[in-house]
Amino acid sequence: MTALLDSAALDQADDTGTTLARLVRAEFMKLRTTDTGWLFLAGFIAFTMLALTINGFGIHHQLYPQKGLDGPQALAEAARSRTPAGVAAIAASMMTSGHLFGVIFALLLGVLVVTSEFANQTAAVTFVTVPRRATVIKAKMAAAACCGALFWLAGTVIAAVATPLFLYTQHISTSLTGWTVARSVLLNLLAFVAWGVFGLGLGAVLRSQMASVIGALVVYAGSFGAILVFTLLYNLFHQAWLLAGPVIAPAVASEVMVTSGPAFPYAPPGWVGGIILIGYTVALVAGGIALTKRRDVI
Amino acid sequence: MVVLLAVVVIGGLVWLARLNRGGTRTNRARMDGAGPDFPDRPLGGRVVSPALMSQGRIEVCGLTKDYGGVRAVDDLSFTVEPGRVTGFLGPNGAGKTTTLRMLLDLVEPTAGTATIGGVRYADLDQPIRCVGAVLEAGAAHKDRTGRDHLRVVCQSAGIPLARADEVLELVGLGAAARRTFRGYSLGMRQRLGVAAALLGDPQVLILDEPANGLDPEGIRWMRDLLRTLARQGRTVLVSSHLLGEMAQLADDLVIVAAGRLAAQGTVASVLGSMAYLSRTLVRTPELEKLAAVLGSDVVVTPAGDSGAYITGADAVAIGDAALRAGLAIHQLVTQLPDLEAAFLELTAGKAAIR
Repeated sequence: MTALLDSAALDQADDTGTTLARLVRAEFMKLRTTDTGWLFLAGFIAFTMLALTINGFGIHHQLYPQKGLDGPQALAEAARSRTPAGVAAIAASMMTSGHLFGVIFALLLGVLVVTSEFANQTAAVTFVTVPRRATVIKAKMAAAACCGALFWLAGTVIAAVATPLFLYTQHISTSLTGWTVARSVLLNLLAFVAWGVFGLGLGAVLRSQMASVIGALVVYAGSFGAILVFTLLYNLFHQAWLLAGPVIAPAVASEVMVTSGPAFPYAPPGWVGGIILIGYTVALVAGGIALTKRRDVI
Repeated sequence: MVVLLAVVVIGGLVWLARLNRGGTRTNRARMDGAGPDFPDRPLGGRVVSPALMSQGRIEVCGLTKDYGGVRAVDDLSFTVEPGRVTGFLGPNGAGKTTTLRMLLDLVEPTAGTATIGGVRYADLDQPIRCVGAVLEAGAAHKDRTGRDHLRVVCQSAGIPLARADEVLELVGLGAAARRTFRGYSLGMRQRLGVAAALLGDPQVLILDEPANGLDPEGIRWMRDLLRTLARQGRTVLVSSHLLGEMAQLADDLVIVAAGRLAAQGTVASVLGSMAYLSRTLVRTPELEKLAAVLGSDVVVTPAGDSGAYITGADAVAIGDAALRAGLAIHQLVTQLPDLEAAFLELTAGKAAIR
């Protein structure tokens, strides 16, 4: 096309890469050029350090129960903790410190990746620039997933420095490369990515920033209410499978997936949690894409 | 655990409240004017080839949009030609914005089509290389700099990022390029919107109320820019409810009221079709006699200083009648309705609050 405005830059225009690849890079540029993403990362790092500290105190107490104050049960527990399996579990727990609340950072940033477009009225600019709305949402999904992975990476690096130091101070020797630890760390990555995308899907469905943020927090916190509900139901009907029921709540499913060993008594195996969490995420993203394609941008 | 969760929830809410409050900060620098800080940059003088001209025709055909039970746009059809500035006029709530958004595939029409160069916007290969749009002056992230806002659009569209700096200079925002959008005045926001629209060097420009919030200097700048772009052969469609501005800017008019087409044509032809609204100013020392000669079909409204406005007879008829009666005429002037009068006449009673 003839350059109507004399432009050195446009003369060099070079449309390499697919629309999706360009849009993913644009989404990262959006995240880089405002404070929000950086504030979230800083908050997450601070939170992870706090969580490591609290977890460390807890594990110290577990390893060294105070004689006289703690009963024989605690002493037995301390002895169990010092078996190879117990030590691996402690290392895994330290390496994923704070993940239960840490994923909320990924969840909320995922929400903001899409809702900030509507809150700042930039959705029209975005969709006029690229009218293929499904591709836009897919690019945002990739960005949200990468943000989740980045949070995980930041948390894991900090934990990987803190954990050996902590274990050394507790006079426990173990390797962080054992399967139990590696499994927990990798499943934790899956949880962070899944929650980032979950937030993106929720934001795409709801569009309103306020509603999506509150919705995300309610879904996450409310999930743990499911444990109460199913315990109540069990007390009424005495069906054993009801005790595994809470896994249908997304945050409980995530916890079941990540925890090595049962997350709560009668919890189903980890893969069930994984399938449930990923199922919710896929459903939300699919719904978000369908609605975004159909809805008017006003 | 519960305490930690509460901390996260409360923290999130506080942070959200901070986000929402952000938009009302008042420390905006006033840099509306196209003064020394924002020199007008001459645009390239190249003219578009005839083949490109045909690509730039906007055709709206039977366009209709219902929102719930409300018909915002009702069977609207019009054409916008390249090489001209077309004013898209209507009172607030007439369906102008909805129409422009249907043109840009942001809003799905209930019926009808809107095409640019015969192609739906969604089917354009590289939309922003063909069409530039300014939709809302407030359309950038408050914490992002003007330059970064444009670079994001470049990145999305596959345009070199250096283009952002070129258009910032073009609209006179070079000095404010690295300030956040939050600190932009309304006039600067409008300029940033225009800069975004020019990124792809498009054949067609669609602007929704671009003069809103501009001071007189800014309005003159916008007018000169749009006229220059039209002279280069581009299609320029500008919506507005500012009639005086349109009278000076537009070559053609599309007037809508209550979602329907009220008039379309050149400014002169739209005004001409309102000839029945014209009146004649007459000054004569013998006004009563002239009124008697003209008969009962005309309405004579005294205008002071031995003058009167006469409707119901044109200047020729009045002059002939005065000559036959031997009456002296000191002044005889035909006054065509101005755009405002035409506009009010065309849209009378059709303005809706939506």
